[in-house]
Amino acid sequence: MAAFVTTNQGKQPRNANFNENTCDPVLLRWQRRALVFKMTLTLTAGINWRLTTFSLLVICFLGNGGLSLGSDQERPISFNRDIRPILSDKCFHCHGPNDESREADLRFDIKEDAFHVIEIGNLEESELIRRITDEDPDSRMPPAEINKPLSVDEIEILKKWVQQGAPWSEFWAYVPPHKYEPPILKSNARFGNWIDQFTVARLEEYSLGLSAPADRTTLLRRLYFDLIGLPPTPAQVNAFLQDQSPLAFENVVDQLLASKHFGERLAIYWLDLVRFADTVGYHGDQPHNISPYRDWVINAFNENMPFDQFTREQLAGDLLPNSTESQKIASGYNRLLQTTHEGGLQPKEYSAIYAADRVRNVSLVWMGATVGCAQCHDHKYDPYTMKDFYSLAAFFADVDDEQHFKVGTNSTPTKRPPEILVISDKDRVALETAKAQTDAQSTKVNQLKEDVAKLKQELEGLGKSGLGKSGLVDELDKTVKSAAEPGVRNKPINQQTEAVLPDAIVADEEDRNAELIANLQSRQSQVAREENQLKQLIRDQSEIESRGAWTMITQPLPAPRIMRVLRRGHWMDETGEIVQPSVPGFMGAIETDSKRATRLDLANWLTDESRDSGQLTARVFANRFWYLFMGVGISRSLDDFGGQGEPPANPELLDNLAIEFIDNDWDVKHLIRRIVTSKTYQQSSLESPEIRRVDPYNQLFSHQSRYRLPAELIRDNALSISGLLNVDQIGGTSVKPAQPANYYQHLNFPQRKYIQDTDDRQWRRGVYVHWQRMFLHPSLKAFDAPTREECTAQRPKSNTPSAALALLNDPIFVEAARMFAARILATADSDSFSARIDRAYHLALSRSPDRDEFRILEKLYNDCVAAFEQDPGSATNLLAIGQAKPKASTEIDPTKLAAWTTVARAILNLNETNTRN
Amino acid sequence: MNSKPTTDKVANSLNRRTFLARSGVGFGAAALTSMLASDSFGRCRTHPPGPGLNLPHHPPRIKRVIFLCMAGGPSHLETFDYKPELERLDGQPMPTSFTAGQPIAQLQGHELKCLRPLTKFRRYGDSGLQFSDYLPFQSRLADDICVVKSMVTEQINHDPAHTFMNTGTAISGRPSMGSWINYGLGCESENLPGFVVMSSVGGRNPQPIASRQWSAGFLPSQFQGVEFNSAGDPVHYVRNPGGISRNLQRELVDSITQLDSLRNTQVQNPEIRTRIAAYELAFKMQASIPELMDISDEPQHVLEMYGAKPGDGTFASNCLLARRLAERGVRFIQLYHRGWDHHGDLDKFMKICCDHTDRATWALVTDLKQRGLLEDTLVVWGGEFGRTPMFQGKGGVGRDHHIKGFSMWLSGGGIKPGSSYGETDELGYHAVKDVVHVRDLHATMLHMLGIDHSRFSVKFQGLDMKLTGVEPARVVHDVLA
Repeated sequence: MAAFVTTNQGKQPRNANFNENTCDPVLLRWQRRALVFKMTLTLTAGINWRLTTFSLLVICFLGNGGLSLGSDQERPISFNRDIRPILSDKCFHCHGPNDESREADLRFDIKEDAFHVIEIGNLEESELIRRITDEDPDSRMPPAEINKPLSVDEIEILKKWVQQGAPWSEFWAYVPPHKYEPPILKSNARFGNWIDQFTVARLEEYSLGLSAPADRTTLLRRLYFDLIGLPPTPAQVNAFLQDQSPLAFENVVDQLLASKHFGERLAIYWLDLVRFADTVGYHGDQPHNISPYRDWVINAFNENMPFDQFTREQLAGDLLPNSTESQKIASGYNRLLQTTHEGGLQPKEYSAIYAADRVRNVSLVWMGATVGCAQCHDHKYDPYTMKDFYSLAAFFADVDDEQHFKVGTNSTPTKRPPEILVISDKDRVALETAKAQTDAQSTKVNQLKEDVAKLKQELEGLGKSGLGKSGLVDELDKTVKSAAEPGVRNKPINQQTEAVLPDAIVADEEDRNAELIANLQSRQSQVAREENQLKQLIRDQSEIESRGAWTMITQPLPAPRIMRVLRRGHWMDETGEIVQPSVPGFMGAIETDSKRATRLDLANWLTDESRDSGQLTARVFANRFWYLFMGVGISRSLDDFGGQGEPPANPELLDNLAIEFIDNDWDVKHLIRRIVTSKTYQQSSLESPEIRRVDPYNQLFSHQSRYRLPAELIRDNALSISGLLNVDQIGGTSVKPAQPANYYQHLNFPQRKYIQDTDDRQWRRGVYVHWQRMFLHPSLKAFDAPTREECTAQRPKSNTPSAALALLNDPIFVEAARMFAARILATADSDSFSARIDRAYHLALSRSPDRDEFRILEKLYNDCVAAFEQDPGSATNLLAIGQAKPKASTEIDPTKLAAWTTVARAILNLNETNTRN
Repeated sequence: MNSKPTTDKVANSLNRRTFLARSGVGFGAAALTSMLASDSFGRCRTHPPGPGLNLPHHPPRIKRVIFLCMAGGPSHLETFDYKPELERLDGQPMPTSFTAGQPIAQLQGHELKCLRPLTKFRRYGDSGLQFSDYLPFQSRLADDICVVKSMVTEQINHDPAHTFMNTGTAISGRPSMGSWINYGLGCESENLPGFVVMSSVGGRNPQPIASRQWSAGFLPSQFQGVEFNSAGDPVHYVRNPGGISRNLQRELVDSITQLDSLRNTQVQNPEIRTRIAAYELAFKMQASIPELMDISDEPQHVLEMYGAKPGDGTFASNCLLARRLAERGVRFIQLYHRGWDHHGDLDKFMKICCDHTDRATWALVTDLKQRGLLEDTLVVWGGEFGRTPMFQGKGGVGRDHHIKGFSMWLSGGGIKPGSSYGETDELGYHAVKDVVHVRDLHATMLHMLGIDHSRFSVKFQGLDMKLTGVEPARVVHDVLA
């Protein structure tokens, strides 16, 4: 990997590459299972824990590398699938890319070096094999103290590899994607587009096909959750079920891709990647201004901004020629990291911390690479050097952090210049008008003041003649001023000022100066009036501005910070080499005619489809989009396309998706459309016993995935079912729904009190909820929303008592249940229990309940009615939760409403309600 | 009400797929995070350990840890580390041989002068350990604790220093030690989380503390610390909504369970079984947590011993709660007392902080000892760093943050009682003898729990992550009995 592989090398004949890069999950599972069965009597239901733990240990020992056993004898070894993962995990630590930790001057990440210890086809003469099988524990590799012993099977597969001629190939993730012809299918399988040819071809190898199509209701719900993050209404379900057109599904796809909620759905994922939050994250965790960036992301997805432009505007919107306000907002990406405002911070230390943070993020997000590991030493598994790390950091050395180091204090709102004020289009027009008016008014006032000054000068000159009595001018000023105050204007100003003028002057109408005085009087009154007018205009202007939102942007420093390699990552060590911005050395270089490379150059390089770098980025995102719609990546390590990540299970499919993305000019909606219109996407998520046995990780994509909705959608779904969700507005400053009192008690600098929104902002979508990094809303947190301190490419999906408590008892969900109950009561055609429960099920689950479900809920309802009748006060207490008011015109019986609220709580808590199937 | 929960059966019948999904091949987080409710051995019920681990590595000496986190950084020079030489140099310039090239926090750019210890030190107990006069109660523990006087850390500001103390790195997103330990060993409690955090009221303007400090990082969420509050709901959403009786909530949970079970007969989704178990546990916790948090059932003499009043949210009450949590099998209990950040008015605030914490600290160790719980508990006392030997005058005499040498103490099962370990130099600046890095503390703690820190790792972003990180860490055998 010393030199980056060129495009041509990657484009080998399909068959050669096919075998080489193909990961075979099914066989892996079989092998693992075979071993597990040897160790335990059973692994099915009811097994005891200790045995299982042991079995799992065995599974883990097999690691993520491929292994060959039994039935696999005839299958050729694949270097990327079978060998490299073993070498990486067990050997690279001492014999990998890291110069410092390398032992015996031997490395296995480069073919020529590795072949010093490999005699092709000859086990006895291969030092590699001799050392891993050495009887002497002191000589055996890997050394015991590394705690990474090779398993018996790993040794076997390494032997077999040597016997088979030790085939070598470049690391898959650094080889640009190659476009493959979709395979011809053996069977008469149905397929929707070429994606299915790749998935079905793999399934055919195991005498399988795609699972049955999902039923239409499930499919529609899946599509709604995946594309807009909201459940379909009963009417939408009905319309789809009625639509017999062969294009019915594709029409809904198009409709949802065009929905303004599409951007909200996609933004959730993007905001995790780039660690978007409303607060600084360290120490005082004060709020910072950034919500317009979130709205920019939503709009960009809605407008289907090409991904390369999307990248450019975020990394370098400020550097684009004549950059627009929108591009400046996008450049807020560079400001999303955690910052501190703690007293006693050392700017140099935090400059180093920020630099590292930015490298971690940009490399994880766009490259799927853990360049962050090379902060203190060369990467142990991938060819990133320390110099690469600091050179990548140097791209961001011009991001102005200095201002907030100077003015950012332990107070709120945190001052974090450079920032700009962002206002709505409507307000923008109003503001421009107001500004023009203010300017004109200001000019007018200045002109008048000049006139007054001149007149005064003349009048003062008269002082010598006794007429310009000392203090007269001052006196006139005062009177005019007070007369001009609003509300004082009960007499004409002339009359008021007259009273001040000495009788002698008034009497002396004939005096040549009388005119001058009158003129002065009138001008001064005019100044006062016009100044008031100006003040009002300024007030109007700031009111418009106050409706806007400030947002942090990137502003390049005239002189970028000096970036040097920090030995051992230590910020106080200033002896390291000074570096210029450049991309990782093994991936080539950016040509800049010896000018300093910029963030814009970096963004262009990352998305330059004519270079390897852009094509690799496309593959990273093709994998993530696949994950978003299939629930599992083609390579399951969404954030590590390095040697320690997992090779793709279907490399040809992944490559073709990447090329599809590039060939369509980075068209995100196109790629998504391609995926969701495949039959692979539209399969059922139910797993047959056969499927479960053969493809438990869904690496053959033999079925759809089913999983709990993400945190924001748990909220959106409940609020939507209840009719409470406020969905019309897109964007805006972050919102504050109810949260437990004192939740911010441990925050300080300053002490914080959470002020809940009391208007309908409190029912806005989860994507808009205030993201307090240190204390994220407990209901979001309970459902695995990340704190967004670091890049999150894949959220965990846990299933914990904390989540159960939140969904059961969080007042937001109780309030939603109450409104859901009111909706059930108000909208059912008949007041029979069965009509209502049917309506409730259609609202929440898009279907009717079956008889058993009906009975369970009927019993719950009746018991609740009895309980609330016995204790009417408790019904009142339950119904007092939350601020939402039912729209129902008629008074609803509290006992009934409370009982229905409880039934509604049950429905909102169901697994089915909260699962994307 | 009349429907018997089906949980036990369900929880025991976890099928193969769940285990496979949890097996951690490549540690795909999504599939890993399902929660098991129980195991057929009856241990580790709420939170069994992570899959694929074979722990303990060796026989453990303790079962649990109580970490008394004195947030803000208490001065070692006013507590356990007496420096007569500092007394002599009081007011004189700090010799630059100590400070040249060293990181400095708020004293950046200031003249550095020595500041004498602000109170007297005396020797106590058979051990003759030295305690300052600020600690009249802890001095009674002279024959129960081991003071480590040679601690060092790497972060000089509060937030990153706490993160470093808890996770072994200043990078966000890594698991805290309580999460690691529960991930490794599971918890022993029937119906409580394995990692509980409490923070007390009172003290100087308290440093903020982030929930990151008890985050599970990349470990499954069920291993994250759960914060118990002394005011309001003890745990978020643990109380029924207004108007809902326990019976009604029972019936609601049973209805959800029945409906989910019905669904599961159609879709066979292992997640549903896990979920049913989680709901049942949640329901149990709704009773067990308020019961635990209500200390009014403690005898008067016990309340007095700690200086605790039910519901007052003080460190004293939290210490008493820590004992109750320990009794109920909670694996890692962390008490924060904030307010030790004494840049100025050191004397005044030492008195205040010690007044809040000293007696209760003594009471906790003593109570644990009397009940036989200290034998298998490790109690740790300390801050995220210490304070400078140099004077800082931010509103009266004080000291700045200091990371090159400070004191912590350990007590409990397997710890050499009545001992001290390591030394700082004559001015209390650098740890010079038997230096104990934060990761050595972690390694030692894990060792006592039966875990070899070097073999306790989890794959994340391609790396074998460990609490003790990649730099060498050692078990400090000399503090062990």
